[in-house]
Amino acid sequence: MTDDPPFSPALLPAGFVDLLTPDARTEAEGVATLMGVFASHGYDRVRPPLMEFEETLLAGAGAALAEQSFRVMDPDTRKMMVLRPDITPQIARMAATRLGAAPRPLRLSYAGTCVVVMPAAAEESGRQIMQAGIELIGPDSPQADAEVVAVGAEALARLGVPDVSFDLTMPPLVPALLEEAGISAAVRPALMRALDRKDAAAVAELGGAVAETLIALLRAAGPAEQAVEQLAHISLPPRARAFSERLAATVTALRHVKPDLCLTVDPVEFRGWKYHTGVCVTLFAVGRAEELGRGGRYLSNENEPACGLTFRPDVLFRAIPPAQAMRRIYLAPDAQPQAAARLRAEGCATLAALPPEAPYRAGPEHDRAEARRLGCSHILSGATCTELD
Amino acid sequence: MTVPQPDRQPARSSGTQDRGQLVLALPKGRILKAVTPLLERAGMAPSADCLGDDSRKLRFPTQNPKLDVVRVRSFDVATFVASGGAHIGICGADVLMEFDYPEIYAPLDLGIGGCRVSVAQPVTLPHDPEEWARWSEVRVATKYPAITRRFFAARGINANIVHLHGAMELAPMLGLSRLIVDLVDTGSTLRANGLGEVETITHITSRLIVNRTALKTRPEEIGALINSFRTALEATPPVTEKVKAEQSS
Repeated sequence: MTDDPPFSPALLPAGFVDLLTPDARTEAEGVATLMGVFASHGYDRVRPPLMEFEETLLAGAGAALAEQSFRVMDPDTRKMMVLRPDITPQIARMAATRLGAAPRPLRLSYAGTCVVVMPAAAEESGRQIMQAGIELIGPDSPQADAEVVAVGAEALARLGVPDVSFDLTMPPLVPALLEEAGISAAVRPALMRALDRKDAAAVAELGGAVAETLIALLRAAGPAEQAVEQLAHISLPPRARAFSERLAATVTALRHVKPDLCLTVDPVEFRGWKYHTGVCVTLFAVGRAEELGRGGRYLSNENEPACGLTFRPDVLFRAIPPAQAMRRIYLAPDAQPQAAARLRAEGCATLAALPPEAPYRAGPEHDRAEARRLGCSHILSGATCTELD
Repeated sequence: MTVPQPDRQPARSSGTQDRGQLVLALPKGRILKAVTPLLERAGMAPSADCLGDDSRKLRFPTQNPKLDVVRVRSFDVATFVASGGAHIGICGADVLMEFDYPEIYAPLDLGIGGCRVSVAQPVTLPHDPEEWARWSEVRVATKYPAITRRFFAARGINANIVHLHGAMELAPMLGLSRLIVDLVDTGSTLRANGLGEVETITHITSRLIVNRTALKTRPEEIGALINSFRTALEATPPVTEKVKAEQSS
């Protein structure tokens, strides 16, 4: 082939982007806001590493992440290392090892970058994804579930994300129901798939003895109070019933702390990272196709109960106004250093004049033109700061 | 991974500008005609110019003041709904099988537009399942590459796809492929071009589809729309019975 198009030096691997200003600032400030809210509720910040050994990261709760992981061989130990696709399993590892003796309930928060092989869903746009979240390790109660969701809701409110909606789900409910009803393993994948797509026609066809129950569950999805009410009227075998009651208890506990939350319940949903074992939550914003975050209950290493919530800041920050730009002030060559320092202390950005390239031109006119060219709104000359017209 | 990616801009003008208005995506052609009576009973019939072929407009008001209709190609209905540009839509189960978008829910089988996705080949060639078992690969012309690959992969055959958007029937005749995989209604187009069905991949009907996020964030409104479709369907058992009878014949 002699006619390959020239390779653009701007091209990045698919799913990786350069963040420019103001997006990079929006991200940094947004993460700081989120972490501030988490810290104010006693969630201590930790920072796990970018890479880990495959056998530790992908053990236990992390097993579901194997297909999403980039792997590299460590030339030193010749062990496989994984670029983390998700931070939660790292927190689970920490909680079981280095923080194993720390008092419970253990509240931890984190923010960092992950890399996935493929975006998990088409609505997720990148392979390098940012995560910021909390984990509450130790207690297994509806109140603990509610705390995690409530802290998340407060963080979103602080960021100013409009019209947020929380969808509560119970991923193990349907598998338990199918097992208790004796649905054969051969039919189960197709049936689960039909349930996932809410394809009532296929559920009716494949559901056998529980078809009616499954369709009633499908139809129960909706605004939380209404869904809980309908769930209570559906007759379920014991294990499925227990899951359904826990879901209802979580709704009650959450309403107690956050009465105004826009809350929906979907008893048939079982999406997300596959390690969840209890109540899960997915965060949406009206009019935006992507999920803002998700979380839920899982078993940490050593089978310790835990509940977490992870935001997708890179999705979240598209839903909020960009970070306020700093006022930019051009420092003319004669600007007083003390005056410039004062302006910086007030939160302005000062751009110092550097010796110009030849042909050398000096004077106030040149300074003003230079200030405008660099996007400054003001110019500091001596100790006086004047606005450019 | 073919859904249009959300851009990095703060707001997507198309989907978010008029948050009150819901958008229903309808496919042009065969299904649109079949679905019109149902839309009328459900109280969402689009304005008359949507159903004719004269209008160049693509977006139309309906009987329901909170609902607009957009008229797009049937394959695009799924893409519009998956990306959230349209909140609900109607499309054939063939399109859903082909794209398999996780952000689409298919809550209702509308029982209209019944037909099937089939494998066909020239009537002059013998069809012998024993022979298929000896194949490692086969060349197939289709507008359903994913469905075709899956169907043959399950039989241990790699399908080499000739991806066409229409006039699949020409492919075997002109030497592009041995087989075709296409939507078959009455089979008259196949017969007119010297082809015959040899395997049925699946029977399909039209589905009501819903964007996942729209259902989660606006459950009352979307739920009400789904319910009015369900009520309209239940009010007309004769139509669905007739379609089922046609399918089985």
